[in-house]
Amino acid sequence: MSGRPGDTVSLVAGLAIVGLGVLLVLDALEAIDLSLGYLAPAVTATAGAILLVHGLSRSRER
Amino acid sequence: MIAAMAVPADAAPAEDVRRVRRDPDAGMIAGVCAGIAGRAGIDPIIIRLAFVAAALFSGAGLIAYALAWIFIPARQGGTVAARLRPARGNIEAVIGIGLLVLSAALLLRAVGWWVSDAVVWPAIAAAIGGALIWRQFVGPGGAAPAEATARAVQAEPRVEPLPGARRLSVAGVGVTLVLGAALVFLWANGALDAAGDAVLATVVVVVALGLILAPVWWRLGRNLAAERAERIRSQERAELGAHLHDSVLQTLALMQRRADDPREVAALARRQERELRAWLLDRPAARADKSLAGALEAAAAKVEESHGGGIEVVTVGDCALDDRAEAVLAAAREAILNAAKFAGDAGPIDVFAEVTPRRIEVFVRDRGPGFDPSSLPHDRHGVRESIVGRMERHGGRTEIRTGADGGTEVELSLERGAS
Repeated sequence: MSGRPGDTVSLVAGLAIVGLGVLLVLDALEAIDLSLGYLAPAVTATAGAILLVHGLSRSRER
Repeated sequence: MIAAMAVPADAAPAEDVRRVRRDPDAGMIAGVCAGIAGRAGIDPIIIRLAFVAAALFSGAGLIAYALAWIFIPARQGGTVAARLRPARGNIEAVIGIGLLVLSAALLLRAVGWWVSDAVVWPAIAAAIGGALIWRQFVGPGGAAPAEATARAVQAEPRVEPLPGARRLSVAGVGVTLVLGAALVFLWANGALDAAGDAVLATVVVVVALGLILAPVWWRLGRNLAAERAERIRSQERAELGAHLHDSVLQTLALMQRRADDPREVAALARRQERELRAWLLDRPAARADKSLAGALEAAAAKVEESHGGGIEVVTVGDCALDDRAEAVLAAAREAILNAAKFAGDAGPIDVFAEVTPRRIEVFVRDRGPGFDPSSLPHDRHGVRESIVGRMERHGGRTEIRTGADGGTEVELSLERGAS
């Protein structure tokens, strides 16, 4: 992507949080059974992806 | 005289003082509280107490602090000590990778592809601890202190090695992780049952000692960083003094001896000014052989030395000296030479060059009487061949304009991507 680094970070963060939100909605609708064993990796993966992209964009800016 | 100014395209804008900025220099962890307090004009301890109080309510303060650490940028133009710290982006990337690995491990555990909690978690902790120790003493963080100092002074955009005290702290975390992982592994597999009480007592004593000594370590680290920053500043002062002695003072002495020759004195002053500007802007002399901006400044300096007068060069952007840039450079050199020969006494000559990813443009303006390009004799090849013809052969164009009250402007333009 050739846009600003902040755009990439926002895009990844937004997609990751939307994905997490979809999982939570499906669980609330009882379409899936989202136990803590599956929720914990989803949350950590979301936070990890955001931090990784944010950190990489900061490194490039330096 | 030449006033060569290179304007970087990515010059950082001035920082908006109205925005909240973390202050890592004044902070205890990441400078969040110090930054907020500095913006609000209150004592940081009030903000710190507020975060601690909020942390007692289900950890809300901790989450808020972590989010503030991530999203509030640190203030720019920090001290030398701040520049010695590792790049924040690298830390975030490492934490992000760690969280992704943790996520994968948790997922594998949830689906049942798992060996045993007693094996995998200690193994992961030991691997992280080993990586920290390895990086501090063998990897890029283990660079020599002199090299670390030089990099910090130059603020190069690369991975900065950590100062000694910080390196030991990170290595200490690594050692703790490895030892903790080994103890957990032994405990989970029942090997510590016999010595359980002794191990518990040891752990309690170590934790107590850590709590007692933590403020001392923290203060020691701060003092070491301050001392290191002071040493770097003193090295910078010594370097500045040495440079002034070797260049400016020597030139001034030479000018006193040549006081009876104004032309020679002016040439010495111009040469010294160019050198001082290049040194202040941290531009190495070799750049004149490799970049268009450097070569243009060098060409202008040479014309100025041979023909006198003043030539002011301003460059915006730069590019390597390929065939096309060489053509523009040669045409510009000829235009500058003509301006110095025929209009050098009328006032300073202005040279403005702009290099974008698509185009190179150079403007040479003088304050002479001006001339009509169409009235030039056919045996005069300077303008016709060396400037106009050369630019046309490379797909560029030349425009020569003379104002109503004199003065000539030569505009050279060439598309960088054109064939």
